[in-house]
Amino acid sequence: MKVNRLKVFWIVLLAATMSMTAAGCGGSAKEQPQATLDPESPPVLSELTYWVQIVSQVSATMKSYNEIEAYKELESLTGVKVDFQHPPQGQQATEQFNLMMTSDKLPDVIEYSWAGYPGGPEKAIKDGKIIKLNDLIDQHAPNFKKVLEEHPEWKKEIMTDDGSIYVFPFLRTDDKLKVFLGPTIRQDWLDKLGLSMPTTIDEWYNVLKAFKEQDPNGNGKADEIPLYLTKGDVDTTTAFLGAWGINAGFYQEEGQVKYGPTDPRFKEFLTLMNQWYKEGLLDQDFATTDEKMLEAKITGGQIGSAILYTGSGIGKYGTLMKDKDPNFRLVAAPYPVMNKGDKQIWGYKDYAFNGIGAAITTSNKNPIETVKWLDYGYSEEGTLLFNFGKEGVSYTMEDGKPKFKPEVLNDPSGLPVIQSMSKHNRATFSGPFMLDIRFDEQYTTEPDQLESKIIWAEPTMEKKMPRTTPTQAESSRYASIMTDINTYKDEMYLKFVMGAEPLDQFDKYVKTIESMGLAEALEIQQNALERYGKR
Amino acid sequence: MSAAREHPFESRKGKWTTIAKDLRRNKYVYILALPVILYYAVFHYGPMYGLLMAFKDFSIADGIWGSEWIGFEHFRNFFNSYYFERLLRNTVLINVYELIFAFPAPIILALLLNEIRSRLFKRTVQTISYLPHFVSIVVVTGIMFDFLARDGLVNQILGFFGIESIPFMSEAGWFRTLYVGSGIWQGVGWGSIIYLAAIATIDPTLYEAAKMDGAGRWKQMLHITLPGMLPTIIIIFILNMGSMLSVGSEKVLLMYSPLTYETADVISTFVYRRGVLETDYGFTTAVGLFNSVVSFILLVLANSISKRVSEHKLW
Amino acid sequence: MANKRTAGETIFVWFNALILTGLCFVTLYPFVYVAFASFSDPASLAQHRGLLFTPLDINFEAYKAVFNNPMITTGYRNTLIYVAAGTAINLVATAIGAYLLSRRNLYFKNLLMMLIVITMFFGGGLIPTYLLINNLGMLNTIWAMLIPGMIGTFNMIIMRTAFQSVPISLEESAKIDGANDLIILFRIIIPLSMPVIAVMILWYAVGHWNSYFGALIYLRDRELFPLQLVLREILITNTTDNMMTEASGDRMAIADTIKYATIIVSTLPILLLYPFLQKYFVKGVLIGAIKE
Repeated sequence: MKVNRLKVFWIVLLAATMSMTAAGCGGSAKEQPQATLDPESPPVLSELTYWVQIVSQVSATMKSYNEIEAYKELESLTGVKVDFQHPPQGQQATEQFNLMMTSDKLPDVIEYSWAGYPGGPEKAIKDGKIIKLNDLIDQHAPNFKKVLEEHPEWKKEIMTDDGSIYVFPFLRTDDKLKVFLGPTIRQDWLDKLGLSMPTTIDEWYNVLKAFKEQDPNGNGKADEIPLYLTKGDVDTTTAFLGAWGINAGFYQEEGQVKYGPTDPRFKEFLTLMNQWYKEGLLDQDFATTDEKMLEAKITGGQIGSAILYTGSGIGKYGTLMKDKDPNFRLVAAPYPVMNKGDKQIWGYKDYAFNGIGAAITTSNKNPIETVKWLDYGYSEEGTLLFNFGKEGVSYTMEDGKPKFKPEVLNDPSGLPVIQSMSKHNRATFSGPFMLDIRFDEQYTTEPDQLESKIIWAEPTMEKKMPRTTPTQAESSRYASIMTDINTYKDEMYLKFVMGAEPLDQFDKYVKTIESMGLAEALEIQQNALERYGKR
Repeated sequence: MSAAREHPFESRKGKWTTIAKDLRRNKYVYILALPVILYYAVFHYGPMYGLLMAFKDFSIADGIWGSEWIGFEHFRNFFNSYYFERLLRNTVLINVYELIFAFPAPIILALLLNEIRSRLFKRTVQTISYLPHFVSIVVVTGIMFDFLARDGLVNQILGFFGIESIPFMSEAGWFRTLYVGSGIWQGVGWGSIIYLAAIATIDPTLYEAAKMDGAGRWKQMLHITLPGMLPTIIIIFILNMGSMLSVGSEKVLLMYSPLTYETADVISTFVYRRGVLETDYGFTTAVGLFNSVVSFILLVLANSISKRVSEHKLW
Repeated sequence: MANKRTAGETIFVWFNALILTGLCFVTLYPFVYVAFASFSDPASLAQHRGLLFTPLDINFEAYKAVFNNPMITTGYRNTLIYVAAGTAINLVATAIGAYLLSRRNLYFKNLLMMLIVITMFFGGGLIPTYLLINNLGMLNTIWAMLIPGMIGTFNMIIMRTAFQSVPISLEESAKIDGANDLIILFRIIIPLSMPVIAVMILWYAVGHWNSYFGALIYLRDRELFPLQLVLREILITNTTDNMMTEASGDRMAIADTIKYATIIVSTLPILLLYPFLQKYFVKGVLIGAIKE
């Protein structure tokens, strides 16, 4: 009996397996999609598939973007029903994106950081994955077209080297929106020791020395860590190093690409860091401290200054320490310069276009209507919708200015602001629209946080490389050179600063980097910069 | 044909007769196993053409077949890397240390557990020892950083004995010890489960017979328990030999810093860092293929050595 | 039992007990740490260094964040389905494969073994596998979670090794009684290999329970997401250094405790599996039972 039943089971399983295999063999033929636009496409767009990574502030309370008030409103305004496809969050969604790109059946709209497409966005167009939008925008996207005409600098950022526009981009419309990271210092310590805010490297030295020796945390022990500055901090913000007029990577001076870490001035910076490290001004464990330990050191009242974010630094620690140490006050410090009154050149400032945008794929049957649908986000009303939600529900107009309702800013059920806002708008994360400063003014409220954006927006960033894209052929070579160089330079940075390698070895270090193919990497960057200039 | 030689009932006719006979006799075995064979054909051998990427300048649009051939360019890139030797050395050394220390640890634990007479105690130890397997690597390394910091718990204890504090996590010399040690700490209990299962299948009459002969516990362990576990131990050992070039990147990435690159940077982390700059499937495949070839050769060697010195083998 | 111990043996017994007790403490601790940390107040935890012997200022915020997530029940349900169905498929397939490879008189035995071992080292990688799954129509379905990993080759080889140690005499006598391969496999070999089967259940079930990579690349429909993926998202919710969250200032402070809470939430249910399987690890129980 039992055996018989088993036999039947196996026959069924066998049959199933065979049919699966058959499907596997038959289905692998590749069909080229028709990339041409159908002139007689149906005029009405009613459905749209839209692939986009769901962000955490949304997924905390909702299952899809459809539940966001702004999209509900958009649907009733346009009649377009959007089927949002959300891959899992996190770094590895890249994997799903790349794999999806190997197939030909794509969602209608893909919102993604398209620079991540292997070979860049221009390649994605040439590969027949997404469509070039220039003409469509010209004819069917009056709002977005106007924006680009008024802001040629944004247009340059969102174009490829060949002049193609490939997405409806996320744009930060104000400089203050591009700044959120920089040096911070314990203002209460400065006050206690009667010091003023340091601006030059020498002033910083004196302040740090005082932090070290005069026991500003008042526990009788010299356990203060005057400065916490990691290699990563120097790489991203160029704090302190920037005083020498260079950065820790590629930069440009009058159209010439240069490399900071091999510059003689970099040696001077390393010498200073080495000195600070020896004198105990720099955290002795800066190379191995993780986020949690940093948190413990800050909340434990040990750290005098560090590179931190507006939100997760100044904001977070302000809140955390409110009860524990009422004097605690962490504020933004200006990027140090060499001589008093020098202009700040280096800091951290993001681009207006952060790379994320909504592209229309070649699988889309109705690109014209999709363009019109996306264009709404760049209109006056669309900006309000995406930044503030639906009028009357999440905000009201007061004196011509949108004002969030108190229940959004202060959710009665106790949701954090970011989550309660995300039920209504998209302004807490990137998307195809323009981020409005009026939103940020209500979102960032602590005075020290607001102040930080003004202080950190100071640097001119005149030597920063624009967002260039290497060609596909270049990029593989570039990756192979830079992996070696980065490994070596990161290792040597720590050795120089911590004194494991004497600084008179700097020339040898430069030679080694050069032998790894620096000249070629510079040339690739130079070409990319020149292509960017020609856009 | 060695296979034919092993065949017990073979009367040395032609190969085809043998095969036909075999198919007839073992008809039901093959039919039963057909789904398994199909599974390997479809899901493992089917996609294997992807290995071609190692020799191609892979582009998503052209697909694997359509991309341009570039021969051994990716391999040259990898072998000519300034760090190739260091990467290889670090990878192999970590594996050698794991083979010496981490491989025997669960076997010893299983033997020790087997000697416990109290059932309750034994079960408790077993259950507890396998718990760390479920704690994610992020947390384990987090705890390590906390305890091993310059002013962390371990250094406080060392300080109590008058030993100067050691910056464990930032010294290249400590990396391998910490990596392998924490691996044992996390995996020894879980690893012992399979050996306990092997012990459980040993015929209890063997022990009774040994006791009659007056064998003590040490002798019983040596002459009954260990030989009973041996097939499992050898097979796992051989399979381990096949992973000599792979060290998972996740834990190393969490543990290392440029300060410890000297001993900690392995092939997988190097590929990862390169991947940060660019999604390069071709390069990744090439490195993977290099790993596979070397690993497979090692496995074949280990298998043939084992075949000679014991009767246990993979094939 | 231990009536005639020698002095050496007594020392060994105590020494052994001591070692294992020590091991218990050392291995239990990280787990206890995680448990305590998950119930701690995030701010206190942030300031704390070193060992934890009790939760710091008991606080359930992290668990609230986990269980308030709209996806959490979906995740649990899906994972249970994947574990149950997946493990069942794994076991049957692995047992059959192991049975095939354990036959002593198979002409193709070595060839098959070689071909199977090769797959442990050589594979086509993600892209062709993805295309295969896509062409089979399994993309974004439960099958993508169950079928591609139907057999763990390592497990199958371990199982084969166990099958090989079943005394051949039992098999032969069964054959004389007219038993076919199915009966031999399911009536003789598997019952005699229960300890290994138990290990396989444990390995496969835990594997399914913890796996998320397949879901990560094959699933787009959030209704199919397994628990681990949901938990990962919850974790990301509270730790991402996303540009806007950074700028905003209310990145929740519970990030760290959430990390621990997710471990507890995801681990406790699967831990319950072990005690049920443990009885198979007791020496001699099965052989005795069979011989009766």
